[in-house]
Amino acid sequence: MQNNLDIMQTTRREFLRTALGASTMLAFSPAVPGFLGRAALAAAAGRQDRDSVLVVVQLSGGNDGLNTVVPYEDDAYHRNRPTLRLTAERVLKLDSGLGLHPDMGAFLRLYREGHLAVIQGVGYSNSNRDHEPAMRDWHTARPLETLTQTGWLGRAIDRACKAGRTDVPGVFAGPIPSPFGLQAEEAIVPAIKSLDQWLPAPEWAAASRPDPQGSAAGAPGNANPLPDFLRRATLDASAGAARLRAVLEGAAATGPAPYPGFPLARTLQSVAQLIRAELGIRIYFAELGGGGIGGFDTHAGQAANQGALLRELSESVAAFLDDLRRDRLLDRVWLMTFSEFGRALSENGRRGTGHGAAAPVFLAGGGLKGGLVGPHPSLVDLDADAPKFHTDFRRVYATVLDRWLGFDSLAVLGERFAPLEVAI
Amino acid sequence: MKEQAQIDNRTARWENLDDPSWAWAPYRPDAQRPWSLELAAHLYRRAAFGANWGELQQALADGPELAVGKLLRPKAGAAAFNEAYDAYENAGTGSEGGAPAWWLRRLIQTPCPVLEQMTLFWHNHFAITNARVNNPEMMCRYVHLLRRNALGRFDVLLESVLDEPAVLVCLGARANRKARPSLDFARSLMEQFTLGPGRFSEQDVQGAARALTGWFVSQGKAHFIPREHDQGAKKLLGREGDFDRKDLLRLLLEQPATAQLVVRKLHRWFVSETASLPDALVAPLAADFAKDFDAGKLVETVLRSNLFFSGYRQKIKSPVQYAVGLVRGLEATVGTVRLAADLADLGQDLFQPPTLKGWAGGQHWINRFTLLGRARLAEELLAGSGPYGGKLDPAATASKYGQSGPEAASRFLLQLFLQGDLPEKTRQALLAGQAPGPAQGPDSLRRFGALLAALPEWHLA
Repeated sequence: MQNNLDIMQTTRREFLRTALGASTMLAFSPAVPGFLGRAALAAAAGRQDRDSVLVVVQLSGGNDGLNTVVPYEDDAYHRNRPTLRLTAERVLKLDSGLGLHPDMGAFLRLYREGHLAVIQGVGYSNSNRDHEPAMRDWHTARPLETLTQTGWLGRAIDRACKAGRTDVPGVFAGPIPSPFGLQAEEAIVPAIKSLDQWLPAPEWAAASRPDPQGSAAGAPGNANPLPDFLRRATLDASAGAARLRAVLEGAAATGPAPYPGFPLARTLQSVAQLIRAELGIRIYFAELGGGGIGGFDTHAGQAANQGALLRELSESVAAFLDDLRRDRLLDRVWLMTFSEFGRALSENGRRGTGHGAAAPVFLAGGGLKGGLVGPHPSLVDLDADAPKFHTDFRRVYATVLDRWLGFDSLAVLGERFAPLEVAI
Repeated sequence: MKEQAQIDNRTARWENLDDPSWAWAPYRPDAQRPWSLELAAHLYRRAAFGANWGELQQALADGPELAVGKLLRPKAGAAAFNEAYDAYENAGTGSEGGAPAWWLRRLIQTPCPVLEQMTLFWHNHFAITNARVNNPEMMCRYVHLLRRNALGRFDVLLESVLDEPAVLVCLGARANRKARPSLDFARSLMEQFTLGPGRFSEQDVQGAARALTGWFVSQGKAHFIPREHDQGAKKLLGREGDFDRKDLLRLLLEQPATAQLVVRKLHRWFVSETASLPDALVAPLAADFAKDFDAGKLVETVLRSNLFFSGYRQKIKSPVQYAVGLVRGLEATVGTVRLAADLADLGQDLFQPPTLKGWAGGQHWINRFTLLGRARLAEELLAGSGPYGGKLDPAATASKYGQSGPEAASRFLLQLFLQGDLPEKTRQALLAGQAPGPAQGPDSLRRFGALLAALPEWHLA
């Protein structure tokens, strides 16, 4: 926590320096323009705010949980998967007769380091097995309400937006359109395809900096608050852009961070840069599988496709965590994966699998208890040929909201779900 | 201080804003409140997405009465223009992003911008989204209906909207069966379209849902199937009877809350986002509106009023207004497929309002990223090359009005877009950068324009 405070104070100092030119003391003198004084007060009040970050990675298409976290000692598994089964020799062994897919070596390392929790058997009652409605259920977190207009993260973001502040509590990062999970009622949730896209020319930062002497002293009564609001917002945006530019230039100077060449890795690298730039973003959403009915939908030729995607996932996430660790940011970040459903136990005739139900969810990062959470679902007591859930996915959501982000999960989810004990 | 004082001084002279008869009375310039370039630009920003220099000068010469009148009366060729664009839009629905791109092009080129402002207003009021409808043809039909009635009768619009398949599909009301009345549909109709939140009970929702039974969407059309209509007695808003949809709409329109909701929303849309309208000011206008539900007349009253001209810079531009105002001001047009995507990134995806409540607007438009994105968009729109191909040329616009050379052209741009609303120091600093010298290149005026468009004041409508 000491680190976090240092970082936040540095940022605040930097904010005021950027805002006021040379003299930080100006902020506290009675002559200071109203809007700057208030900005300084708001920054000071923000000291109590948490700065934990959640990164959600969607695995589009329905990832086969059984070949991700493999019950390699279970006869039923081997019987039902004549060609797709992964044997004891091939899996990367965890505990309790379970092993990771052989392409997930990077996740095995995170697991051993205590930075990976595997929450097993996650799903929900009467779970849908069509891609679109199932994904919608995971996005809305309200499976029974077909008209829900907002996503669970969108609702969390709306609630985190404070009046008069211009922080952006959540963003989507990646090349596809923003997923519905981020749909908010009021907040505008940026979709970041590339960081350049949001950086105007450097001369803008200088020119757009409002002149404090020429600015509003919070006029009393019913005077128009908007000019003042926009001046603060512009100042704040130009300070944010300057920090982001400094992070990008710093990275260019020290050479590229060691990320693999996967698209997900590039996205997570941008996320790490945004975290460093201290823009107040608490929630990031990224995607693997290509959106739509994604690459995890392995009805045929599953082995090669799933293996490639799981390698991209594990190596990208591990590189991201290593990158954060270098700047001692790891303890501020959790990354959570999910997919709209797992897959059926029985292999089909095309070396693939059909749509299923429960599957594991990964949590990676600092500040969490690594290891297996909950038992592996039975392969005998099935839900129409697929593993049954024992942990409602909204318990996972409640965990990251209540225990990690410090948001009120009841307000976001509309019901109280018991969080899992995975936070340290 | 100066800056705020400047903007506030323009409103300080508007004294009797609590008095409805004064607030809604037409603005008549006098020595205290003279007609000015600022007020002409205010009128055009609110009613017409912004003005070009010719329009501003004409409005200044015309005075408010004539200027508002010209904006409200359809120009020759307006109907033909809109018919042509309806056809383009219908043809464009096949390609991705086609419909929003055509709408943006219409916003840029329309001879009747008030009609488009009101079409957007109704799109925000009946906030149907293609994210749920997933059918661009249906969505275009729905927006065309909004446009045809945008300045017409609200009661007619309301009933026609309920005949639109897009609306029924979006509200989850494809099939309103006698055995399964759609409570969500009824609730949306009352909460979003008519009475507003908190003005009805659960019993009213049930009664309304039953009154709406019998309506189905099939083959892209709304149909009434009599045997699926619940003919029994319903309790609704303190009344009881065998109400059908027509009765329901009549009852909803009879409630003062419906006209009040429209008046409140229209005030926020055209006049001010900084304070909600006091009941005393809502009442007379709503009562008048409820007599005939003539939206055109209501808009005219608002746009002519003292209150309207007092709301100076009390709104934040939507992304659409931000971009379209720039493009219209420079009397050019740009590729709108790209523009539609960029504006969606800034939070305004036409045909896709975020929820049934429409776009939250106001300060919600602004955050760190959207401000950076707006600055970046202005840069790209004004750049001599790049994604928008250099179609906007501020030097050419300035020279059209006889202002050549970097300094004169810069002053022209300041007058065109910001009038006197910059602190003198900022103004001087900006102009100093445009003084003749080695830094001046052919693109310097383009960069100057982009800097202006990123100023805090620029985002105020």
